[in-house]
Amino acid sequence: MSAVTAERKRRTGFDRPRFLWALYTAMCLYLFVPILVVVIYSFNSSKSLQVFSGLSFRWYRTFWNDPDIKNSLVASFEVAAVTMVVATILGTLLAFGLVRARGRLGGSANILMLLPLITPEIVTAVGLLLLFGLVGTPLSLKTIMLGHITFSISYVTVIVRARLSLLNREVEEAAMDLGATELGALRLVTLPALYPAIAASALLVFVLSFDDFVTSVFTSGAGTSPLPVRIYSLLRVGVSPEINAVGTTMIAITLALALGLLPLTLWRRNTEPPAPTVPAPE
Amino acid sequence: MRRGLWSSFLVPPGLWLAAFYLAPLGLIVAASFGSVDFLGRVLYKWPFHGWDLSNYHTVLSSAYLPAFFRSLLFALLTTGLCLLIGYPVAYVIARYGGRVRHLLVVVLILPWFVDYLIRVYAWIVLLGDNGVVNGWLGDLGMHGDPPVQFLGTWFAVVGGLFYSYFPFMVLPIYAAVERMDSSLVEAGKDLYGTPWQTFRHVTFPATFQGVVAGVVLVFLPAAGDFANSEFLGSPDTAMIGNVINQTFNAGGYVPLGGTLTVCFMVGIAAFMVFYLRSAARASREGAM
Repeated sequence: MSAVTAERKRRTGFDRPRFLWALYTAMCLYLFVPILVVVIYSFNSSKSLQVFSGLSFRWYRTFWNDPDIKNSLVASFEVAAVTMVVATILGTLLAFGLVRARGRLGGSANILMLLPLITPEIVTAVGLLLLFGLVGTPLSLKTIMLGHITFSISYVTVIVRARLSLLNREVEEAAMDLGATELGALRLVTLPALYPAIAASALLVFVLSFDDFVTSVFTSGAGTSPLPVRIYSLLRVGVSPEINAVGTTMIAITLALALGLLPLTLWRRNTEPPAPTVPAPE
Repeated sequence: MRRGLWSSFLVPPGLWLAAFYLAPLGLIVAASFGSVDFLGRVLYKWPFHGWDLSNYHTVLSSAYLPAFFRSLLFALLTTGLCLLIGYPVAYVIARYGGRVRHLLVVVLILPWFVDYLIRVYAWIVLLGDNGVVNGWLGDLGMHGDPPVQFLGTWFAVVGGLFYSYFPFMVLPIYAAVERMDSSLVEAGKDLYGTPWQTFRHVTFPATFQGVVAGVVLVFLPAAGDFANSEFLGSPDTAMIGNVINQTFNAGGYVPLGGTLTVCFMVGIAAFMVFYLRSAARASREGAM
């Protein structure tokens, strides 16, 4: 048996993973190298991108002494925090509605939920800009938050719904048999089981909002703008080493959040109920 | 009674999406048939109510067609490249990754968490005229200023798009290969299928859902992208996103921007409908 398998393995170069692992490694390098270069050159003491003259925090000092950029960093946190809270609540409500309400309303709500996920962001951003113009709302951080919440709801719903549809309804019914009200059972039984999914989607939304650029560019006004918008206007002027320092700071923040996501997803894996077994035909 | 409770959960998010997603889409359509008053405010015109097709005539005249064509071409190239490389990578992780396969995927998508503009900017640092690579090439004795002009070309734009959206191809294919019953492949081999035949008739059809999701999730944002073309390309590589962005953020004629957006949406509508139908089918099959 094993000899046959080995023979077959040798014969089938196509399926041989060694070449494919090389491809995987090459892709990892390709994906990481540009980012590493930005990080390395953020510590360069000279302005050049071609010569690394020595280690220095010069560009971080420039960035830290630039009140505009500091305000933008604070604004980004503000927008991301508000977006996270509101979008997580709305998205979780939508997930419950989609999983548990049956009928026509659920079907159209499902399509309404999926559409923002696949609409190119520039389209929704243009629409929001027109809406705010029509209503007469001056563009500010608040309008950016409205835009971010709108595209974030669906991400929350997709993640929470996946977990919710795996939950066993009988546990909730048992709680109600023991005297819990429907909302009580939801709070005491269902929500705790959903916390990892809700927390993961909240973190993801924070990162999405913190990094968002297209919606922010279209819905930001004359005042303080979030960091990606600030970077955009810096880039239009030209490349400056200060951007390396700003970029590295953003990388540190978002990667810390992304690493926070990791244990949540792994925890979900471990608590997943076993897949329903299908009797195998002998 | 109980059904009423769960349905009521749909109301707040539903109203939110109606107000901030559907209504804006309607406004784009109305603006596309409209004009502006003497103060520059947009005058919305609803279809069939005194509408005006002049914006559409302008858009479909020659000036804007190259940008549409480039968006389509660049997005298709990006999607093809992502599929060509993303499929084998996702496949090898899902089939041969063993216990660490989730970790291997996380490593691959971790760069995606880095801010989008910083990732575009990283390529300017690396490949710009005064960038890192040109510095090396100069040290190696290549002449010219710069030794090689990487940026400002169409393949820099496609490379940037590929870099931006590659994870969107890997994730759904990875999920599909992982779900696939690997004994199917064994069966194909036992039936003396060559590796290529096994792939064509067994593996690929079994993971087709993931491929569809990946293609759509890469194609749609790539077609609407503008930062890659703006910073890695040149005016000669302008995509439709660049034109729309300039119209709205550099004081262009707003109704025309609406028309451009509508034309763009019509162009990609087939992809969106395709995805929604396949997602609806998947959720029906997945339902108990």
